[in-house]
Amino acid sequence: MKSGAVAKAALAAEPSGSPTSALAIQNLSMRFETSEGPVTAVDDMSFDVPVGSFVSLIGPSGCGKSTVFNIVGGLLTGHAGSVRVGAETVAGPHRAIGMVFQEESTFPWRTVIDNVAFPLEISGIGRDERHEQARHFINMVGLHGFERRYPSELSGGMRQRVAIARTLAFQPSILLMDEPFAALDEQTRLLLGDKILQIQQDLKQTTMLITHNITEAVQLSDRIVVMTYRPGKVKRIIDVDLPRPRTSEVITSTAFGAYVAEVWNDLREEASRGMADAESASQMRPSRRS
Amino acid sequence: MSLISTVEAGQARLSFSTRKNLLRAAIVIAVIAVWEMAARSGLFYRDVVPPVENIVAALAGILVDPAFYRNFAITLGEIGVALIIGGTLGFLTGIALGVSRFLTKAYEPLLFYLGPTPKIVFFPVLIMWFGVGSGSKIAMGAISCFFPLAISVAAGIRSIDPVLIRVGRSFRLSTWQTVAKIYVPAIREPIINGIRLGLGIAIIGTVLAETKLSNQGIGFMIIQTYATFNIERMYGLLITLFVFAIGSNALLHRFTRR
Ligand SMILES: Nc1ncnc2c1ncn2[C@@H]1O[C@H](COP(=O)(O)OP(=O)(O)OP(=O)(O)O)[C@@H](O)[C@H]1O
Ligand SMILES: [Mg+2]
Repeated sequence: MKSGAVAKAALAAEPSGSPTSALAIQNLSMRFETSEGPVTAVDDMSFDVPVGSFVSLIGPSGCGKSTVFNIVGGLLTGHAGSVRVGAETVAGPHRAIGMVFQEESTFPWRTVIDNVAFPLEISGIGRDERHEQARHFINMVGLHGFERRYPSELSGGMRQRVAIARTLAFQPSILLMDEPFAALDEQTRLLLGDKILQIQQDLKQTTMLITHNITEAVQLSDRIVVMTYRPGKVKRIIDVDLPRPRTSEVITSTAFGAYVAEVWNDLREEASRGMADAESASQMRPSRRS
Repeated sequence: MSLISTVEAGQARLSFSTRKNLLRAAIVIAVIAVWEMAARSGLFYRDVVPPVENIVAALAGILVDPAFYRNFAITLGEIGVALIIGGTLGFLTGIALGVSRFLTKAYEPLLFYLGPTPKIVFFPVLIMWFGVGSGSKIAMGAISCFFPLAISVAAGIRSIDPVLIRVGRSFRLSTWQTVAKIYVPAIREPIINGIRLGLGIAIIGTVLAETKLSNQGIGFMIIQTYATFNIERMYGLLITLFVFAIGSNALLHRFTRR
């Protein structure tokens, strides 16, 4: 097992934006002006996502994960530092990046197949051709037979798979996902994780997953970026040397357990700081009931 | 098992809708019966509340009268053009207000104050601008249906789940594509409701204008029968107007369902 420090040093030595890194994040910082003064959500974060690899960004709730997601996706500007896709600096939504959102995001007025075909429709592909392609991605996420259903007729997990298939149909070279499984139960989460693994291995899809679930991060990732709580910094970068191809069965192995313990060690401190923060905030606020 | 339950649900729905229709027929019959009793009671002038059979006879007379169809077509045309002009402008205004916070701040209060104002107060001005013919009637109808459409489209756009807009941005949609592929389908229901409200008010606006100053149209015919005290025919004309208003609204309502 490589130690985190070594991994980080190795990364720093590697020239950013080299052909091996699909995504290079350098000295990224973001401040929000709020009614209670400025809040630094992201503070001087740097990490790389190598081509074809699966990188997870993990941290406690409120540490700035979605902020990083939105900046990398080009939906949020006003940051310091840079995000580069290959040699290009991200300024606005980039063609190479496909996003899957934390919230429910399927179009309720479109059937499954028309949801998935949406990005193809936008690029002007004819109806039959785009449906043909959409079917391929629908099968990939295991929704064969549900093409004509509307999102309201599906379960939450199925809707999230529709959203994933829709983004895959955009054929991004980098797939960005913000806690796509957050609203799902543990079993569905594991099985969907399997699907994601399989897709990633089939497509050699470069993926950056945002999560606060340790098991999920270890099960899926080649590299885990652990974030600190407020301001969000890189606490440690852990390279996961578990054999591929993996399935959800990997979680029973001892090596898996060791990785989980390692990540948990790093996160525990941050999570408890987050909790203390939330508690003190609720104590400071005058109670409305009394 | 699921098949059986579907069939049962179907039957339940059928009997429910039959009951609903029976109830509707009952209220119509009740109104007619009360009317007839009032007419026969001698409490009202026979000319003001004529017996049902006289109204039916007048209605039959109207329905074979070519003048009725000519005037009806004129009114229909005026309402149609009013709906197209006022509706399109209302729709575009609604989109602009819904998308831009700045425009909303600047103009929405105006919309809310002018919306419920009776548009007939503009009629003298419209006559000066568009003449006593169809022009001023169309303008009345257009102004009337502009407001409900603009208000409901703007509100509809503001109620769209913002994540859907972010999905559009992540797929690099142009502004036009965002409007056509996300805003419009997302607010299908508010649009149709706005058109329904707008249609109702456009009918009122147009017909009201016709009763004020004109020489053609259903409104003109109605006010003529009133002036010549041909009350039975007036009721007959009003019934045709009711049927038209209700029928066109019901037709639009069918579009709300997928
Ligand atoms: N638009 C904004 N304006 C002001 N503050 C913001 C804004 N967006 C995020 N923040 C703040 O930045 C911090 C990080 O938020 P962010 O949504 O990135 O957290 P997160 O790690 O994604 O949390 P979660 O796991 O709950 O989704 C939070 O303290 C939040 O209050
Ligand atoms: Mg988040």
